[in-house]
Amino acid sequence: MLARAAGDFYWMGRYFERAEHTARLLDYHLAHLVDTPADVLARGWQLLYAALAQPPPISPTETGDAEAFLVPDAFALAAHLIEDTENPDAIIQSWTKARDNAKQLRPWLPVRVWTCLNDGFLWLRDCDFTEYWAQGPNRLPAGVVDRLRHLSGVIEARMSRDNAWRFLELGRFVERLQLQTALLRAWSNPSNKNSRVWAGLLEVCAAYEAYCRTCSMVIQPRQALAFLIANPEVSRSLSFATRSVQVLLSDIDPAGGRYPRRAPHRRALRLAGAIETNLHASAEITDTQDFLGDFAEECRTLHDLIIAEYIDYPLEQGLPS
Amino acid sequence: MTVTTSTQDNLSATAHLSFDRERQSVAGPTVAGKGGFSDYSIESRFRDEMFHDDGTLRTVAERLGTALNNATPEQLMQLQDGVRRQFLHEGITFTVIGKEEVTEQIIPIDCVPRVLTASEWDHIDQGLRQRLRAINLFLKDIYHEGWSLRDGIVPYELVLGCPQYRMEMLGTKVPHDIYVSVCGTDIVRTRDGFAVLEDNLRVPSGVSYMLACRAAIKQAMPRLYRAHNVREVLPYPGQLYSQLASLVTWTQSPRIAVLTPGRYNSAYYEHAFLAGEMGAELVEGRDLVVHDGLVYMRTVTGLKKVDVIYRRVDDDFLDPVTFRNDSLLGVPGLFHAYRVGNVVIANAPGTGVADDKALYAYVPDLIRYFLSEEPILSNVETYLCRTTEGLTYTLENLDKLVVKEVGGSGGYGMLVGPHASAKEKKDFAERLRTDPANFISQPTLALSRAPCFIDGKVVPRHVDVRPFVLQGRKETWIAPGGLCRVALRQGSLVVNSSQGGGCKDLWIINEEERNS
Repeated sequence: MLARAAGDFYWMGRYFERAEHTARLLDYHLAHLVDTPADVLARGWQLLYAALAQPPPISPTETGDAEAFLVPDAFALAAHLIEDTENPDAIIQSWTKARDNAKQLRPWLPVRVWTCLNDGFLWLRDCDFTEYWAQGPNRLPAGVVDRLRHLSGVIEARMSRDNAWRFLELGRFVERLQLQTALLRAWSNPSNKNSRVWAGLLEVCAAYEAYCRTCSMVIQPRQALAFLIANPEVSRSLSFATRSVQVLLSDIDPAGGRYPRRAPHRRALRLAGAIETNLHASAEITDTQDFLGDFAEECRTLHDLIIAEYIDYPLEQGLPS
Repeated sequence: MTVTTSTQDNLSATAHLSFDRERQSVAGPTVAGKGGFSDYSIESRFRDEMFHDDGTLRTVAERLGTALNNATPEQLMQLQDGVRRQFLHEGITFTVIGKEEVTEQIIPIDCVPRVLTASEWDHIDQGLRQRLRAINLFLKDIYHEGWSLRDGIVPYELVLGCPQYRMEMLGTKVPHDIYVSVCGTDIVRTRDGFAVLEDNLRVPSGVSYMLACRAAIKQAMPRLYRAHNVREVLPYPGQLYSQLASLVTWTQSPRIAVLTPGRYNSAYYEHAFLAGEMGAELVEGRDLVVHDGLVYMRTVTGLKKVDVIYRRVDDDFLDPVTFRNDSLLGVPGLFHAYRVGNVVIANAPGTGVADDKALYAYVPDLIRYFLSEEPILSNVETYLCRTTEGLTYTLENLDKLVVKEVGGSGGYGMLVGPHASAKEKKDFAERLRTDPANFISQPTLALSRAPCFIDGKVVPRHVDVRPFVLQGRKETWIAPGGLCRVALRQGSLVVNSSQGGGCKDLWIINEEERNS
């Protein structure tokens, strides 16, 4: 497969994951505007922006922490994260970039996947945010999540499990690793003890029911954190994403399980090892926070290694012997 | 005659009804009768593709015309909306690069197909084959012996002074002497018959829109389409692959790559479409590298050799070592790999000299010289401003002529005399006097008109057609149809999509099959 095309698939996967991540966070947060106390709501906006590693458009220091994020501002904040073309990480921007990648992938992309992706883009571009807001603040992000899940289904049904699909999935899981790490890191603040906020985290990660079944109905912050880091059965846990990256890299590697493996694969193994070590060693939430800081750095290195190994390698490295 | 149907393909239902002679006279000499054609007018100076001058339908268009005439405006609107929506959803676009921003526009498509009889098409087909044979022989000649120049068929200065003439191609052995593998020739029709307006031999575009139009129309009016036994254009990508592969001698399964300038190119959709349909790789210059005279592309598993490059990049940008050294689109060393015969480039570098608008005037002479045959398709009368007589005539008749730059394309850099303002004509006259060799002029043609559905009404608009010819090692293949371009603005003769033009499907109908 052409290296540049692999790069486009990889980035397309990353942008879709990014758009869905933001949409899920917003969907949850906006759905609870009505019945959430103002201070929790304000804290939620701060956490949300911290998890997305974005500076909020309204600075809390100018108007007071809580006041800056009260309900009247929710519209502006949601608009900033969904449709603000000045915000490079807004959902519309992620979708536009994914579509730009897809445009270069028309020869590899099944027509149905393209039309589904393109329809979704046209819908989001042309929709009236104010009108959606009037129907319910979370209607638009919920719609984005639905459309992206529909697209995932079409991809699942239509794409062969070849390198195109593998790089798309690789992009999704590398992005998921980075976003989930940032999300957990934002939440893993010792002062963040409100169980409702932790329940929200589990809900956003589609892990609330699984947590209640596996652990307890009472949300323990440290336990919830460990659950979202190390449980291999939760699709948004770091463990699940790391395992997925490992499998995809094994399938992409033409040498098939040779030793020593390529650099990205070795790094993925290292990430898996780090999760296991943390599971046993971390006693305090501050330790987990440090672990997540190091883990985020490792994820960035993993991304760099994938680009250097498969997509933008030196030409002399690729010449036939 | 009444139409009672509840199927989605209402138009097609009407096709099964017998044709009523009274209703057939829907279009009088000036205004057509009722139904879809209630606002349709026929002007005797323009040939109408669907109607005779007396307003009766041409035989080939009977079914289609009847169906349109019986359709309600709502049905027509639904049809037009359907084909337009399909283009929108599939992202069938072209890129317009403005001064400040790059915009992506959907190609305007018209839902009413243009129809031609098989015998009319066969005439065009024969003419195109003849023309391409002569052009390939001419190109080989000017890059080798140069007999046509020595014998005075074409002036030396016209060829050697043409910016598209490539000294680097002198003596270069081109695989099977096929310089032009893909050709798109613009053909117009007037009261006098078909004529070639220009040959596009460098990187002819538009074939993907032809295929997209056909797919959209088939979906929108399946029964009407089926009832017509239309000749099929969809094998084009497979034929393109076969013809390109036939040029390779060193392997049975060559690796073909479509070389694109990138996604900001106006025809990027087409490049991606063709690569996908052919199962070829869509590459940019940065994906390729030349090593030891071989061309490789960068894949995730290392470098892989490329055998054929179907390039959609102009000569100038192909190879910064040989051509423009500031090109970022090309591949350093590509021309060397081509010269030593390790890769096929289609079309060959240097073919642009034969689609220069000044050289166009000599193509009939080239056919006589190389093939000893009379041209089957005629040229449009052309005045070369490089000659004193041509320049004088052009300046004196600027208000009647269309003046074009010899290397221009896309409808840019031209003056349509009858539609130009006094200031535009004055400015153009100045440009003509400054650099006469850069211009040719032609009479303003009375292009034929075909029905189009615009703003809720069926109205006549000027059309041309660009058929696509493929030349392989042993055979020539012509898609039975072509990109039918429409000047959507009333009275306009400019059909280019970048200047308000659109496209419609072209049906080649076999009369015998249709009658049966």
